[in-house]
Amino acid sequence: MMAVLRRAAVAGLVVGLVMLYLAGVGLIGAFADRHVVTEYLSLGQLMLLAPLLIGGFAMARQAGSVVRRLSIGAFAGGMGGAVFALGILVVVALSPGIRGVFIRANSELVSFVFFGLDPGLGALLMVGSGLGLGLAGASLPVVPPTVRRGLLTGAAGVVLMSMLEPFVRPRLTEFDLHDVVRFLYQAGGLLPLAALIVFGVSVLLGVVWRPARTEVQRRFAAADPGAQRVGRWIAALLLISFIATLPQLTGVFITQVLVLVGLYVLLGLGLNIVVGYAGLLDLGYVAFYAVGAYFTALLTSPTSSLGIGLNFWVALPLVVLGSAMIGLFIGAPVLRLRGDYLAIVTLGFGEIARVLFLSDALEPWFGGVQGILSIPDIIDEGRYTIPLLGEISGPAATYYPLVAFCAVAAFVAWRLKYSRTGRAWNAMREDEDVAQATGINIVNYKLLAFAMGAAIGCLGGAIFATHLESVFPGTFNVLVSITVLAVVILGGMGSIPGVVFGSLALIGLPELLREFAEFKLLVYGGVVVLMMILRPEGFVPDVTRRRELHEAEPEEEEEDEGDNPESPEATPTAAPSPA
Amino acid sequence: MTVSTADSTEQVEAQGILLEARGVTKQFEGLVANREIDFNIPRHSIVSIIGPNGAGKTTFFNQLSGIYHPTSGQITLDGIDITNVAPHQVAELGVARTYQNIRLFQNMTVLANVMVGRHVRSSGAWFASVFRLPGIRHEEEAIEERSFELLELVGIRRRRAHELAKNLPYGDQRRLEVARALASDPVLLLLDEPTAGMNPRETRRMTEFIGRLRHDLHLTILLIEHDMKVVMGVSERITVLDYGEKIAEGTPEEIRANPRVIEAYLGKQATA
Repeated sequence: MMAVLRRAAVAGLVVGLVMLYLAGVGLIGAFADRHVVTEYLSLGQLMLLAPLLIGGFAMARQAGSVVRRLSIGAFAGGMGGAVFALGILVVVALSPGIRGVFIRANSELVSFVFFGLDPGLGALLMVGSGLGLGLAGASLPVVPPTVRRGLLTGAAGVVLMSMLEPFVRPRLTEFDLHDVVRFLYQAGGLLPLAALIVFGVSVLLGVVWRPARTEVQRRFAAADPGAQRVGRWIAALLLISFIATLPQLTGVFITQVLVLVGLYVLLGLGLNIVVGYAGLLDLGYVAFYAVGAYFTALLTSPTSSLGIGLNFWVALPLVVLGSAMIGLFIGAPVLRLRGDYLAIVTLGFGEIARVLFLSDALEPWFGGVQGILSIPDIIDEGRYTIPLLGEISGPAATYYPLVAFCAVAAFVAWRLKYSRTGRAWNAMREDEDVAQATGINIVNYKLLAFAMGAAIGCLGGAIFATHLESVFPGTFNVLVSITVLAVVILGGMGSIPGVVFGSLALIGLPELLREFAEFKLLVYGGVVVLMMILRPEGFVPDVTRRRELHEAEPEEEEEDEGDNPESPEATPTAAPSPA
Repeated sequence: MTVSTADSTEQVEAQGILLEARGVTKQFEGLVANREIDFNIPRHSIVSIIGPNGAGKTTFFNQLSGIYHPTSGQITLDGIDITNVAPHQVAELGVARTYQNIRLFQNMTVLANVMVGRHVRSSGAWFASVFRLPGIRHEEEAIEERSFELLELVGIRRRRAHELAKNLPYGDQRRLEVARALASDPVLLLLDEPTAGMNPRETRRMTEFIGRLRHDLHLTILLIEHDMKVVMGVSERITVLDYGEKIAEGTPEEIRANPRVIEAYLGKQATA
């Protein structure tokens, strides 16, 4: 019992310190005015109080009676609230002295975190909230999974809907839906009634989603192959038309965000081959992004030093080829390096690329700080017509070719993954010596991974250059490498859907939260560290697919470990479905 | 078994030497790990190397599989000089091995581990896989089929095929290593303490299995072992290393009777 209490107390301490930290760096203050539910709840409050919930949740995830789990959770929450309140009180007491150090610890913050009450009452209320939220968090693992899923999706729905306000509102206004706008939003947040409805709908979705999916999967598995093929085509068609109409549905701003997300999907797919498949930790991936952008600029811009102004599609093969060569060029000297050493050297290469493009010596070629300007658009000066979709212009003009590139890159990555090449890469990632003793030519496969990553990364650079119509060396700093790596890690190393998820979460989401910009790096760092500790396989790991496939296999053939290898089951690719 | 059983193993026997090492010396800085070792493996035999800890057994093994290259001396496989050949080429020439401390591709599936072993006996290039050129699908199916056969041969259940290798029980991990090695259709199989960490029953099964392997797959096998029972029971010839030098060679009976061996290695067990 004592041990449990001590653990809960430590958890509470951590929670309190996390809250103090969040408040201290200014995250809470920055989001104080961002309403989730107008008048009642702001994003700042949510962020401040979320650790209490999570602490309670974590503590209740253990064996024991319901009452005991709940009280432990509440205790951890209360402890967290108390630590936080105490910390804030200390700051208040020492206020004049430490103001210079903790510039964010101003009276506004204090009043905000104490619910606008005076410090004494506020601190008490904070402890009370800690108890309450700890209890609420603790109840999550206690209730049936369906209820838990419902509540969580409900909360996520409300937060997401309020965050989307700046984008949903103009779209709705455009379509003359003023009444809907008035019903949903006020002062940047959801109105209480609207929030309730959004919550209800989300809960319903959360509850229905899993059974519905299982049912669809079951029916799909039971259907005959012909129907399955039709089903797959319909699903693919739906997905394609959804992606194709996104710019029309969401408007210019979101399309702009999607282009950014798409660029990182492309970069992520490339880096995924190097890091996820082959296990070569490359911290200088930005080099290939830069090379792609600069090569494209050189070849297509009429004002570049080459001045030949090629068409984008003519230049593209040259760019890809050139970048792959650079990939080999960078790969060759680091062949013998492993792990940390490789990471450090590639980090250096990334910086070297930027410095070279910036350098005075190469200014006649790359334009130094000025970069290269007037890069033409990918297709017909950024204005073209797609059948059914009408005329495309603005960021959407980049969006479509970008999506096509992503699709090609994903296709290549997917085919490689389940191939002899992919297996050789994986083996190399797992154990280089053994891979070599198994007959894999390490040198060739390392170089291939670098060249492949470079070729895909340069596509991102090429599109980026045409999208901005200019390139500057400052864009290609080490942060790009780190961000791409964070995208890959968040999604799950080696996982293709993971890259899409990672880009949406790390690139797309921050764009929706303008206040977020200055905390981006803090959060990226935190995300990578937390992922490595809590979920190193990422959010969309790639083994689950296999496991799911496996679970779909019928049970009876597994038990006969007899001597009938001639039986047709020897090929598992013929996914058996004798229902 | 689709693996055809050799009815008359004797006919394959006595066809000369498969692997020959002459005067192999390996020196690390000041330490001489192997000194002037002459050693050969007759085709289709099971040969063992024994010796106390630190006798240089694994070093010698690593030179046979190309991981280390000898400081001096020569190693030939089937008449081909492999003294300074890279490990992946040695593997291609038909030498496959397992490791003393199991070294599987932990985060790959059981099946994928065996499929990697098939690498040297397949040829699909990356662009062929991307465009699924003719022949690729057939090759992949063949690799997979063969891998399932091998899993069955070593006795790993089919339902385990899609589990991660690291989640297998210990005995299965050892067996999987053997399956991976066999996937390259080796002529010479090097087993580094294949029964380490196994209980007596598992050890007996592994020993029988090794004997069966030779017959079924026309293999030549070199064992490194600590467990004297395994070595005595299964091998035709035994070489004893001590302090990096070969101190004895012969049939199990000869080794058992050799006073130098008893002194160097069996001493404790013989007197106990």
